[in-house]
Amino acid sequence: MSPARSAEAGPEGRGLTASPGHAADGAVPGRVTDDPGARAQAPGSPAIHAIELRKRYRRTVALDGLSMSVERGEVFGFLGPNGAGKTTAVKLLLGLVRPSGGEAMVLGAPAGDLQTRRRIGYLPELFRYQSWLTAREVLVLHCRLRRLPRPRWAGAVDDALRIVGLSGRGDDRVGTFSKGMQQRLGLGVALLGEPELVVLDEPTSALDPVGRHDVRTIIRALRDRGTTVFLNTHLLAEAEHVCDRVAIISRGRSVATGSLAELKAARPSVRLRVGGLADGWWERLAGFGRWTPDGDWLLVEDMAAGRVPDLVGSIVSLGGQVEAVIPEQQTLEERFLELLEEK
Amino acid sequence: MSAVWTIALLTVREAVRRRLVAAFALISVVLVTLSGWGFYRLSHNVGFTSGESHVAMPEAVILFMFMFSFVVALSASAIASPAISSEIDSGVLQTVAARPVRRGEVLFGKWLGLAGLLAAYTAIVSGLQVAVVYWASGYVAPDPAAAAAFVFAEGVALLTLVLLLSTRLSALAAGVIGVALFGVAWLGGVVGLLGETFNVHALRTAGHVSQYLLPTDGLWHAAVYYLEPSWFITQQLAETPGVRGNPFMSLSAPSWPYLTWAAIWLVLVLVLGLTSFERREL
Repeated sequence: MSPARSAEAGPEGRGLTASPGHAADGAVPGRVTDDPGARAQAPGSPAIHAIELRKRYRRTVALDGLSMSVERGEVFGFLGPNGAGKTTAVKLLLGLVRPSGGEAMVLGAPAGDLQTRRRIGYLPELFRYQSWLTAREVLVLHCRLRRLPRPRWAGAVDDALRIVGLSGRGDDRVGTFSKGMQQRLGLGVALLGEPELVVLDEPTSALDPVGRHDVRTIIRALRDRGTTVFLNTHLLAEAEHVCDRVAIISRGRSVATGSLAELKAARPSVRLRVGGLADGWWERLAGFGRWTPDGDWLLVEDMAAGRVPDLVGSIVSLGGQVEAVIPEQQTLEERFLELLEEK
Repeated sequence: MSAVWTIALLTVREAVRRRLVAAFALISVVLVTLSGWGFYRLSHNVGFTSGESHVAMPEAVILFMFMFSFVVALSASAIASPAISSEIDSGVLQTVAARPVRRGEVLFGKWLGLAGLLAAYTAIVSGLQVAVVYWASGYVAPDPAAAAAFVFAEGVALLTLVLLLSTRLSALAAGVIGVALFGVAWLGGVVGLLGETFNVHALRTAGHVSQYLLPTDGLWHAAVYYLEPSWFITQQLAETPGVRGNPFMSLSAPSWPYLTWAAIWLVLVLVLGLTSFERREL
């Protein structure tokens, strides 16, 4: 959220509109233009910047030199299998645990900086809130802890309840909530006070398909208003739906970073139907990728990015007749598994 | 409102909502009612001579306060042991710690809230007790307010220690260790008294050391002193060394150096708890 964007929020300080969803009705919690914490940012710096971040728990290495950069205003997917170090990384960024090495900057300040936490919303993987409070009381508590100006509490709480679809349950005790409702409440807590950075750790783990759709709608609305979203998930479909860029984590390291299109196109495959190739063509073309005959077709996998035109040119120069070229679309899951196997 | 007050009020509200306050109230009513009945029967015992009645009332008050101090200490341990560790285990604390709040503010707020509950509990039961004993027998201990303050101090000492343990250990372990240490400190006091009575230097030293390491027993003895009429102490001092004194008596007022040490001990343990929690990884 840039200062200019804050100025666009209007006299009520309300956020930008969200795409309508089942729960998200377009409103986001009140933007805090009178919040000194919101102004204390380092413009231009990435939302998150980690350099060789390490974390060791006795003999277990949870993070092994994680480096990544998350730009402001993007939805960044942090993908990896269970035990890859994703939640440890999130906790390091929030200052809940200390790094064993390396450094991380969040919104232009060292990770865990007290003032910067005012500008961060967080939904933990293990979302639990005081079961003896009502949903509204939990949100008010976080308004206090977030040091939101008191006049804004009522509006912020109502907005948060509405966005996450709990308007009718605000006065019910959290202890009576289902797991999915508690996760919705956690999302509401994370959105309070219009944070510049929202960190969501497995935000749909307890939600049904409707809830997942709602969360995707909320994430898109956050992006539309310029909020950075750091989405920690192992659900690739979730990332494919909403993320601008992703990092794939394996064994505590980032093994690939980029947009989904870049990742999927990093090692393209192509299916060819070719006739008239002279003997000895194989030696000239083998270097383009991994060749597999498939009936009348040839499948060329694991090519370097951007080499398809060169391949077609080379076939033609060898006297071949290219009858058909069909790019093979690799799914994120295939690419994900490929990357994990490579490492 | 500062984060410390927010957490302190949250702690009190939790005690109310989780019916801890209701349980305390119920126990207090039972305690005071039973003791009222007991004091009434004791003071109206037709078999008592006036001299026996004169001795029985202070002793009964001291015994009641001993039992009550035990209830306060156990309650302190029970409410402090899950305060940090259970909230870390459940994940509740991570959502609070991710906010612009110092860990020290969270711990101090919890300490303040729990100590406030303990203070209210001690004050109400002690006040009711004074009223009931007066109604039943017309007897009032020399300084029941000072005695209640020292019973509260004893409870707060244990509460602070268990809160420190709770920053590193599970609720069960912190509670069990806290109660065990409380018992060991009481035994240490008994050992010191035996050393005093039979003039065994090593036992006397062990008793003193235990009172400095964990001042709960020392504070209990301070409470007892303010419940004893002056003739009671004079009479005990006149006894031969072999028979005077027992764990329910105190023959001298608490010394200022000891009370100063108890205050320093409390602050040290609290600061240790704050530091431990600041360094705890969530």
